[in-house]
Amino acid sequence: MKELRAAFIIATKDILTEIRTREVLTSIVVFAILVIVIFNFAFGGDERAVKTVAPGILWATFAFSGILSLNRSFMMEKEEDCIEGLMVSPISREAIYLGKFAGNLFFILLIQLVVIPVFSLLFNLWLFSFEFILVTLMATLGFAAVGTLFSAMAVNTRARELILPVLFFPIVTPVIIAAVNASLLILEGKGFSAITDWLGIIAAFFVIFFVASYLVFCFIIEE
Amino acid sequence: MENAGYMLAAFIVIWSGLLAYIFILWRTQAKLHRDIKLLKESLEDNS
Amino acid sequence: MKRKILFFLSAGLILASFYMVLVFVPTERDMGVVQRIFYYHVPLAWIAFMAFFIVFIGSIMYLFKRKPFWDYLASSSAEIGLVFISLMLITGSIWAQPTWGVWWIWEPRLTTSLILWFIYVAYFIVRGYISEEEKQARFAGVVGIIGFLNVPLVFLSVTLWRTQHPPLTIFTEGLVAPMMATLLVCLFAFNFLYIYLLSERTLMKLDEAEVKRLKENIMERNG
Repeated sequence: MKELRAAFIIATKDILTEIRTREVLTSIVVFAILVIVIFNFAFGGDERAVKTVAPGILWATFAFSGILSLNRSFMMEKEEDCIEGLMVSPISREAIYLGKFAGNLFFILLIQLVVIPVFSLLFNLWLFSFEFILVTLMATLGFAAVGTLFSAMAVNTRARELILPVLFFPIVTPVIIAAVNASLLILEGKGFSAITDWLGIIAAFFVIFFVASYLVFCFIIEE
Repeated sequence: MENAGYMLAAFIVIWSGLLAYIFILWRTQAKLHRDIKLLKESLEDNS
Repeated sequence: MKRKILFFLSAGLILASFYMVLVFVPTERDMGVVQRIFYYHVPLAWIAFMAFFIVFIGSIMYLFKRKPFWDYLASSSAEIGLVFISLMLITGSIWAQPTWGVWWIWEPRLTTSLILWFIYVAYFIVRGYISEEEKQARFAGVVGIIGFLNVPLVFLSVTLWRTQHPPLTIFTEGLVAPMMATLLVCLFAFNFLYIYLLSERTLMKLDEAEVKRLKENIMERNG
């Protein structure tokens, strides 16, 4: 219980700083929309082609903007040496993970909240269904679970943010494959029963990597 | 037999790759042993 | 001494495998001579997966025991696994060209191996960007654990994705006895080669540590 409270405090701290400074989110949202626009130039010519590539574009956008947002999460702590403050405070490493995880989840979801309407508008596709929201939510949980772990790892290396994509993309391939294919089925008008296999993979990914990251996080920020 | 060339190419890739790896290992290993010997000698000389 | 025996055992088995693959085994009817790549391609893949499993075990042991030996073992196994899986990917590509007319097919096992290749390349990239040895081992351990946990999920998602397309038949009539025997000889050959290389590489790392220790001793003495 104490752990959850500490995690909650860390997450609100991150969210409050972001609300006050608006340092990161605005530029990431602009970046995400730019990615969509560029993809539109690449694939947008043909009405029918758009429908088949749209889920891929959307998830590539989520992955790219997710990386940016995840990178900031520990960079900010590292830059001002706040991480030392967190480490000496009587908070367990697990609570730091949970707090950072919640903060990252919140930021990525917030980005998606802007990106999805813009995307539906620009590509003329209706995305707001229960199935689609469920897929996005669960896939984002998985993103944040591994992303938080790797982001902590990346800022502690000499290459800093360069390392995150190299670690993050190969690990999240199952989620990307599952989310893209599930979204494709949803866009084709198939119901919930068609995507249960994909949802299963996304859910399994989240559970496995949330538990594993929670357990190994203490090895990343040790010193 | 028309695609024997591909077979041969794969064969060469595998064994030249593995041989190169083993060769590099052996060379580094030999160098390490030499270093250890030298260092041990210089330690004994000093004492 | 034991390593000498291991070396000659694997060398003998490799020579036997030359005979089996090049002379003894009957040529497969549909694919012709090129199918003989299979006898090396498949064991390379199996042993690479086993090597990554050893990385997983070594990583867990390191994080719990903090004995450098376990990191030496894990990183040696990752290196050999990477060599094997690279060779497996190249031979798969050489096989795909005459059989399917393309250099690459997104076949589930091949795709899974490609993702694994990226994960273990990342394993070494992370190590490369860290100077302290202890931290190197710790971070690599985390990647070794997370990377291996991902294998079943990657395989599952790629299989599910690819089964929407016509499956590939590799053998029209199954493996007949001489083919099976050849495969087994190759498997044993690579298995012993792996054990030999692993012991060789791990000992090398122990020697490297010894050199470092001796150098420090000398530095101390010389003030």
